[in-house]
Amino acid sequence: MNTTVEARRNTPPLTPQYFLKLASIVAGFVAVWWAWNRLNMSVLSFFDDLQNVVNLFKRMYPPNFSDTDRIISLTFETLWIALLGTFGAVILSYPLAIGAAANTTKHPIIRFLCRGIITLSRAVPELILAAVFVVAYGPGPFAGILALALHSIGMIGKLFSDSIEEASEASGEAVTSVGATRRQRIRSAVIPQALPSFIATALFRLEINIRGSAVLGLVGAGGIGQLISESLETIQYKPALAAVIVVFFVILIVELVSTSIRQSLIGEAATQQQNKQRGRLSSFINRRDALLNKTAYEKRSISAPWTTERVFRTTAFVSFAVLLFFAISTVNIEWSNTIQNTPKMGTVLRQMFPPSAGGEYSLMIKGLIESLAIAIVSTFLGVLVALPLGVLMARNINVRRFMSFGTRIGVLGLRGIPELIIAVIFVSAMGLGPVPGTLALSVTVAVFASKLFADSLEEVLPAPREAVSAVGASKVQEFFSAVVPQFISPFVSNFFYLLDVFFRSSTVLGIVGGGGIGYLLISSIRVYQFKLTMAIVISVYLIVLIIEWLGLGMRRLFK
Amino acid sequence: MSPHLEVVANESVATITVAALSKRFPNGTLAVDDISFTVPQGQVVGLLGLSGSGKSTLMRLINGLHTPTSGTVNVLGVDVGQAKPADLRDLRRQLGFIFQQFGLVGRATCLENVLIGSLGRLKGPRIGIRTYPKALRVMALERLDRVGLGAQAFQRAETLSGGQMQRVAIARSLMQEPKVLLADEPVASLDPESSNQVLDLISTIAREDGMTVLCSLHQVELAIGRTDRLIGLRDGKIVLDQMTAGINPNVVMDLYRRHGTSDEVREASYA
Repeated sequence: MNTTVEARRNTPPLTPQYFLKLASIVAGFVAVWWAWNRLNMSVLSFFDDLQNVVNLFKRMYPPNFSDTDRIISLTFETLWIALLGTFGAVILSYPLAIGAAANTTKHPIIRFLCRGIITLSRAVPELILAAVFVVAYGPGPFAGILALALHSIGMIGKLFSDSIEEASEASGEAVTSVGATRRQRIRSAVIPQALPSFIATALFRLEINIRGSAVLGLVGAGGIGQLISESLETIQYKPALAAVIVVFFVILIVELVSTSIRQSLIGEAATQQQNKQRGRLSSFINRRDALLNKTAYEKRSISAPWTTERVFRTTAFVSFAVLLFFAISTVNIEWSNTIQNTPKMGTVLRQMFPPSAGGEYSLMIKGLIESLAIAIVSTFLGVLVALPLGVLMARNINVRRFMSFGTRIGVLGLRGIPELIIAVIFVSAMGLGPVPGTLALSVTVAVFASKLFADSLEEVLPAPREAVSAVGASKVQEFFSAVVPQFISPFVSNFFYLLDVFFRSSTVLGIVGGGGIGYLLISSIRVYQFKLTMAIVISVYLIVLIIEWLGLGMRRLFK
Repeated sequence: MSPHLEVVANESVATITVAALSKRFPNGTLAVDDISFTVPQGQVVGLLGLSGSGKSTLMRLINGLHTPTSGTVNVLGVDVGQAKPADLRDLRRQLGFIFQQFGLVGRATCLENVLIGSLGRLKGPRIGIRTYPKALRVMALERLDRVGLGAQAFQRAETLSGGQMQRVAIARSLMQEPKVLLADEPVASLDPESSNQVLDLISTIAREDGMTVLCSLHQVELAIGRTDRLIGLRDGKIVLDQMTAGINPNVVMDLYRRHGTSDEVREASYA
């Protein structure tokens, strides 16, 4: 090293990776620009659009709750569809997850098959499944339940098998070493470890399915969505707003209840809390036993004591069983009809093959491209809004407690409204077309993404931040030097995850007139062109795979 | 060996003056309990004591990351406890701080991590090496050369070994051209060989640049030969304050002896 310091390179060397990163960022912006023009979006018309939405709300106000009976019965139907759909998915996912987990299934072909079923069930949007089931089984909640159950396997099965694989091997070995069979080992060593996470997953999916079942009515598969779409189509805005408000509160309540149960089941705080309760109880039981002057022998019991924890668990289990029984007996399904119609479902399935776009080939391509453009623009716009929101929500960055808490409440409140309901409202306000669809989707992206961003920001390591502030850097400098570099990699993976999720969403916007492939998709089902339906579903899935592959590459590049 | 052999409380050259300093945390722990001492300019002080004896808290009180419950800390003429946020930032620019966990941004290159040391002198945020002025980039390279890592300038910090990371952290604080270097257990996460390297580096640089150093350590043998003065803490109080030259290592080792040897006695002492 005989050159002087001044002569040496003091900027990073221009590696191929550097140019690749630059090129992909440029390509990203070009894609947004292309999609923007394709959809004829314009910043100027945003204000008109906003004005239209405000005007619509003015016409909707005050909400009309006069059709109380119908609102109540449809609300309960929505709840029962979500509950039964989730329960069905859990029942179906349990064996699939055991079959898909590496530590419970050694046979590679069985594992591959189970994994394949789990992945495929996620490929078709639940609304499309519901629309197909409506053709076979007629309109009503059964189609909705079936659609939710089948679609939810994708997530529940995946998460179940993940938590089975996370179970410690040691206890499994111990059970095997006493001479237990494989099934005994699974039942005694694996499932008890995975159970809390199973319940948490099921509850989390229940939250998602409540949102899903609120819009199933748009394709005639039962629930309150029916009321919303009917009222808007017949320009009865006031009852529509009433239904939207009901949906909002039902979702919020289910989320609050489910979140609190989930948090008491998993996580560090939950374990601490349970230990505390256990401690309190055992001291109570000891005192009671001392009072009763029990001998050591009498104190022994061959069944577990009725601790508060056990009482709580049993109560929860019994009330869930009662709820399930109540749901099955009240939901409006004629089971005999359902069984009779099952062969019809077989016919529909057979008509799907071989998949072919037929004469609608160019329409299909156009629709797919429009959906992709909607997904790109709405992800871009949503992320643009979500970045500052995420910073405001992250409790380690925004130390003003009331501000981060306030933003959180606002965002989480909005999260309750399903994107299709926002789309229905925007379409009613601005007219048919991809622009209202894109804007509606952007709102959902923003809400969804800000939570993701806030979570990643809260995972940022504190040590570099402390070191940067110790050199006398300002808060802003600290944010850009110590937080931003740690945030790049999660941002890239979150971005492609969002693109993936919201491309799927953009393919059903057409059901409510929000543009994209959804219109052709739903019409193909309604006119029994099932070969076209299948062709579209397969194409959508291929695009999803491409997005996932692209995301994988980008994650590696920006690691 | 060292020109600073006496503990002189000469106010005119005192760099750090701590008077009746106490810190009680919201959870009730009294981490620092009525401590007073003065460090003259250019002195290298080793701070010894068990984990939880108050060493880290004392360091953070000195650079203002914590505020005192009572008493005062005066560093380079600034009353740290009373300083406004802007004055505190000005002060921190002149105080290098070395952390046990290095505090490097793992994804950033070594050079960028060193450049972060100059943020206190710059206005506005910086993203990436190219956003720093050229003069600073050259200076950062020099600092990396000084800690022997010039060749690793464009390597990501997370790819380095622990000892190398701590040397990058030292280069980062050298960017500040500090008058005082606070090192909070700089070698507690390192293997013996890297520990020796890092401590040699700190003491050499301190003597070459005339820096005042306060360095907390666990091992007595590492402190001897590299420090001018040893201060021992136990339960937040100063229990030893002597010049290093000629010190009896056994006296220092007493710091690390519990009050009793059996568990019973130990428990009694915590009761």
